[in-house]
Amino acid sequence: MLAARADRNTLVTALRERRLDQTLTTALPTLDPRDEQAVGPTGLAALDSRLGGGLPRGHLSEVIGPRSSGRTSLLLQAMAAATARGELVALVDALDMLDAASAAAAGVDLTRLLWVRGHVVTNPGLCRDLNQRAMEQAVKALGLVLQAGNFGLVILDLGEAPHEALRRLPFTTWLRLQRMVEGSQTVCVLVGNEPMSRSAAGLSIKLQPSATADVNAAARFHGPLFDGLNLEARVARARVQLTDTTALPLSTKVARHV
Amino acid sequence: MSEVPRDATLYACLYQPAFAHSASADATARPAPTAEAKAGHVQRLSTTDHRPPTNDPLVSIAAEFSSRYEQHRADLVSVDVRGLSRLFGTPKNIGAEMRREAASRGVRVHVAIAPTRMAALVLALARPGLTVVAAGGVADALAPVPLSVLEQLHEDAQGAGARGTQARLQADDARAAIAALKRWGLRTLGELAALPAADLSARLGRGGRVWQAVARGEDTRPLVPMQADERFEGRLELEWPIDGVEPLSFVLTRLLEPLSLRLERRDRGAAVLHVTLGLVTKEEHHCRLELPSPLREVRALRTLALLDCEAHPPSAAIDTVSVSIEPTPGRILQHALFARPHPTPEQLSTLLARLGAVMGQERVGAPAVLDSFRPGTFAMTPFALEHSAASAGQTPARSGPHDSTDPESRLTAHSVSALRRWRQPIPARVAADPRHRPLRVTSDRRGFAGGSVMTCAGPWRTSGAWWEHDGQAGPWSRDEWDVALTDGAVYRIFRDRVTAGWFIDGVVD
Repeated sequence: MLAARADRNTLVTALRERRLDQTLTTALPTLDPRDEQAVGPTGLAALDSRLGGGLPRGHLSEVIGPRSSGRTSLLLQAMAAATARGELVALVDALDMLDAASAAAAGVDLTRLLWVRGHVVTNPGLCRDLNQRAMEQAVKALGLVLQAGNFGLVILDLGEAPHEALRRLPFTTWLRLQRMVEGSQTVCVLVGNEPMSRSAAGLSIKLQPSATADVNAAARFHGPLFDGLNLEARVARARVQLTDTTALPLSTKVARHV
Repeated sequence: MSEVPRDATLYACLYQPAFAHSASADATARPAPTAEAKAGHVQRLSTTDHRPPTNDPLVSIAAEFSSRYEQHRADLVSVDVRGLSRLFGTPKNIGAEMRREAASRGVRVHVAIAPTRMAALVLALARPGLTVVAAGGVADALAPVPLSVLEQLHEDAQGAGARGTQARLQADDARAAIAALKRWGLRTLGELAALPAADLSARLGRGGRVWQAVARGEDTRPLVPMQADERFEGRLELEWPIDGVEPLSFVLTRLLEPLSLRLERRDRGAAVLHVTLGLVTKEEHHCRLELPSPLREVRALRTLALLDCEAHPPSAAIDTVSVSIEPTPGRILQHALFARPHPTPEQLSTLLARLGAVMGQERVGAPAVLDSFRPGTFAMTPFALEHSAASAGQTPARSGPHDSTDPESRLTAHSVSALRRWRQPIPARVAADPRHRPLRVTSDRRGFAGGSVMTCAGPWRTSGAWWEHDGQAGPWSRDEWDVALTDGAVYRIFRDRVTAGWFIDGVVD
């Protein structure tokens, strides 16, 4: 009996040394934060530390949160970090809401940014099918960019997309996108108000205004000036092994130009 | 001189003395375009300095005798006539035949035939009529030629190489060397050839040796044969008309495959792809694709052509398909071992074409910040296909928080507040105090709950373009406010000072 237990322990140790102990599980191995082939740092030190180095490559990640939760700020930060590493970045902007000045202020090298401006409108009125077609076009554009390959960071921004248009997209859309990005060196990020890709998501980061104070404290005002936002980030879902899922305080700051 | 050994080198040179030198120099630098080239249908294959203007009579005469010829100037052509003795007999007969051919075209030429190309060149410039020099008689033939012939050869060198500063400097050096030779009292090439080579080199440098080689009739370089124009065209007449993109795909593949093979053999890529579709209505549907980088992959070329045909479909069924490619030198791509790979230009051009077909050409590109105070101003620029690794880490025009290329120092504690901007500002109902300070913001737009203003900052007054009245954007004048509402979001709203209306410009996110 003791001999059998010893053999088992030896086998387990050998499998762990060869990292074969996790091949049959749904969880992926721990990311090496120093390996830029495995992760794409966002440029935010605290968040990268929490994520094990950054956003995982070859996975479909999500950044979700309501308005003024810092989604765009985080994305621009990640885009700036990616372009600074010499990578190409693609942004499928379904609602055409990118502010080029904000991107430049965040440090994004705009020459390395492929911006695909969508046709989705916030208020379609009676033309309900208009948004559906535009949403499908945006997803198709994302698929084309992923197929081209070798982009460091690819983002589909659905931040203000109408809820109905999102729900009318087939669920297999996200699985198909996940399959397209799998095995590549691309960080693919979906941005929205709520979780979209569900089980296809590799990592979901939920952002929200800081809950440590009253609702008014999320926005910082210094006298007559708006100074920034106080936020919280939480890893809502992770296929990679992350131990800490508590809320992480973040903040944004307005860039002043003279 | 009777017969020459069949393997002995023999060159003929044709010189058209009446040709104006200034015009010839220009013609050499920029060959006159043919009618087809003017029409934009054909681009010459060769991009070197040896491109022949096909309407040049000397080139036409030379091409009649040998495929190995080189045009030095518009009025000076060298021909390798080795082996023509079997056709024409002695070198004298070859020269006489050349003069006869020129006369039949109405061109008066000097013809010189010599064992070296340089000797033939000098003699053609110096002596009218026909001059034939045997193998052992080059030195004697060149000896009485006046030194001034070098100036004509110098003009040749200047005309052929006047496309760079370095070449111009070399031409100046050559002119100075010839002037020095004249100051020394030299009058003929024989006197120059007799000078000690080492002493000449010590005084005039490498240029002196070159001029002495000319005086001795020695070739300093081999003849560089000109290549005839090569057209990359294909045409297919269909037995049955085709309608639609899918059958066209097969036809294009069949046309493009041999063209791609020829481009690869010539180390060329397609700069512009012309597809002409002959329709059953006897009309023609033209498609012109300017490729951002040299391509020769059949799949990429076919995809781009098909995407363009999808975007601009022909009005009727297709009867004939013609493909024409304007070639350009091939692209040399060096991948880095440690840099992250980028999409190849072929992949990127295909991607941009596909995205343009799906989203619209004007909605795909790279954003650019304009030098303007107008809120939300930007421009779409074409997305660059080639990004060098050296440009990575460079700070943009309006640098953000990262001023260093060190990856560790790029990590920051906070991000820059970004704005999500609606391209069309949303009309809002704003309750404001007498000083226009917003107190409550609501809108009829779905998804905007609105609410009371918890805190606000402003107003920031901006205005501009007041001098424009009929411009597309027009003047603007507004007061901006950053407002935190009870719905938890921070919006940027503004009051248009012209219409006194309130609008939601964007949301801080």
